[in-house]
Amino acid sequence: MGWLLAGLTTWIGGWLLNVWLARQPATRMVQIAVPIIFGLTLIIVWECVVRGFGISKVLLPAPSLIAQTFVASLGLLWRDFVQTVVKGALSGYIMGCGSAFLMAIAVDRFEFLKRGLLPVGNFAAALPIIGMAPIMVMWFGFGWESKAAVVVMMVFFPMLVNTVQGLDDTDAMQRDLMRTYAAGYWKTLLKLRLPAAMPFIFNGLKIGTTLALIGAIIAEFFGSPTLGMGFRISISVGQLAIDLVWAEIVVAALAGSAFYGGVAMLEKAVTFWHPSQRGR
Amino acid sequence: MNKLTTTFGVAALGVWGAAAAQAADDVTLQLKWVTQSQFAGYYVAQDKGFYDEEDLNVTIKPGGPDIAPAQVIAGGGADVVLDWMPSAMASREKGLPLVNIAQPYKSSGMMLTCRKDAGVETPADFAGKTLGVWFGGNEYPFLSWMNKLGLATDGSDGGVTVLKQGFNVDPILQGQAACVSTMTYNEYWQIIDAGLTPEELVVFKYEDQGVATLEDGMYVLEENLNDPEFVDRMVRFVRASMKGWKWAEENPEDAAMIVLDNDATGAQTEEHQIRMMSEVAKLTAGSNGTLDPADYERTIESLLSGGSDPVITAHPGDAAWTHAITDKALN
Repeated sequence: MGWLLAGLTTWIGGWLLNVWLARQPATRMVQIAVPIIFGLTLIIVWECVVRGFGISKVLLPAPSLIAQTFVASLGLLWRDFVQTVVKGALSGYIMGCGSAFLMAIAVDRFEFLKRGLLPVGNFAAALPIIGMAPIMVMWFGFGWESKAAVVVMMVFFPMLVNTVQGLDDTDAMQRDLMRTYAAGYWKTLLKLRLPAAMPFIFNGLKIGTTLALIGAIIAEFFGSPTLGMGFRISISVGQLAIDLVWAEIVVAALAGSAFYGGVAMLEKAVTFWHPSQRGR
Repeated sequence: MNKLTTTFGVAALGVWGAAAAQAADDVTLQLKWVTQSQFAGYYVAQDKGFYDEEDLNVTIKPGGPDIAPAQVIAGGGADVVLDWMPSAMASREKGLPLVNIAQPYKSSGMMLTCRKDAGVETPADFAGKTLGVWFGGNEYPFLSWMNKLGLATDGSDGGVTVLKQGFNVDPILQGQAACVSTMTYNEYWQIIDAGLTPEELVVFKYEDQGVATLEDGMYVLEENLNDPEFVDRMVRFVRASMKGWKWAEENPEDAAMIVLDNDATGAQTEEHQIRMMSEVAKLTAGSNGTLDPADYERTIESLLSGGSDPVITAHPGDAAWTHAITDKALN
């Protein structure tokens, strides 16, 4: 009962604090404090509810237990992280986005590719991951290579479509201006069209970050060496080590946020001139 | 006088029976795997009305690769679950007090099936080879076997390389693994159906290697056994289920057809299920449903003998099984 009361108090307290903060002048401190207070409140309420109702740890472990498991298995989590995120997701992401980018330039240059290849890309994007993953395992083996292949298939299409769209984002007047400067195709591409396409390209890159992580983790469900976040999540459920599952989820959330945040920061640096980035 | 009592008794029973028929007791059973002949006894008991005779309304929930029976019972999704003893005992050590109430399977159907052309003749040849293993609670028998052989499974030199095998036999067909996990009644035949002949394969039964662990026992939560009403329901459930099992053993073809009728996915074939049923019958043949404490001790011993990485760290003691249900149900 005491725990439930504590949870209720925390919830109301956090709420009131945030309401009060929201009425203050919107300084940077306030902007950072509000989501942190919200997150902390959520975690404390979770802890209190689990303890208050005596929820079994094989159903929902308390945050404190997850934190303990996290610290106790740092080495394991790190090896899983390297296997899944660095080897599987990141290499697949770079290969997938890189090839999609080059393909987009070719598609944009040659009309027949646009008509022939885009529908194929569309088709590949519609393939369900649970259908592809076992096939990739069959083709590329149980190691990280098959996971990277799944990631390539997942990120390729959003990147392709966004880049093609972005390359179309200049109007006739701008291109005419380049022509009056006597700029050829490559000069126009480099100096005008690619910079103009940057917001779209980064859109594709940002969508790709989360897809890459999901793809790499899910692909490990369908055959993997005894390593990796997806492997650990799928086997730990069978072993009722739900606290370890949550620890892996924490790693995935941190990695995903950092990955997305990194690309967003890069975007800010590269497209500082774009209206959407000004005044931030 | 005696006759009068009997008449009254019969009449009373009749009334009681009629009343009870309207309010049959619910039992939810969580299977370990998808609907197939591995669970024929329960489907037969359902189909042949053995559960109705015991005044039970049984719901059979199929499992699958993403379903851990222990988690289902922990969440209140089932009254009784089928699980392998290694995984049930590991769950017990993790704080979920599962108790074995009946053991319809006497023998283990688990095998490691290897290709001869991969250079495997005896367990001594495993070192340096890639072996496919099922995880999700099914890896424990394998790990204790490797421990017994003194082979490391963490990828270090001189040990074996372990693959998380999906629930199919692709790795051995593709040559990605020298050996894969198979059940006598299921995956072994998938390999044969895929074109490999028995002569091209070497089969290691866990049973023959002295590391057999008990499979597909009935487990309930310990606290529920303090409730006489629950115990009574389980006594009737076990009695009817065992009746179903014995019927299935004697009529494998009919039992397989009953299983097929209950397969909502339509994924199973007649030939495969009949063959599975005749293999399963060999595993259930030696058991009337009562757990043999010697089998239990052997299983626990193999789980404890894990060297540096045992499956369970402490002997669960006699609290992990009970004859309370089977004694009442079968005698």
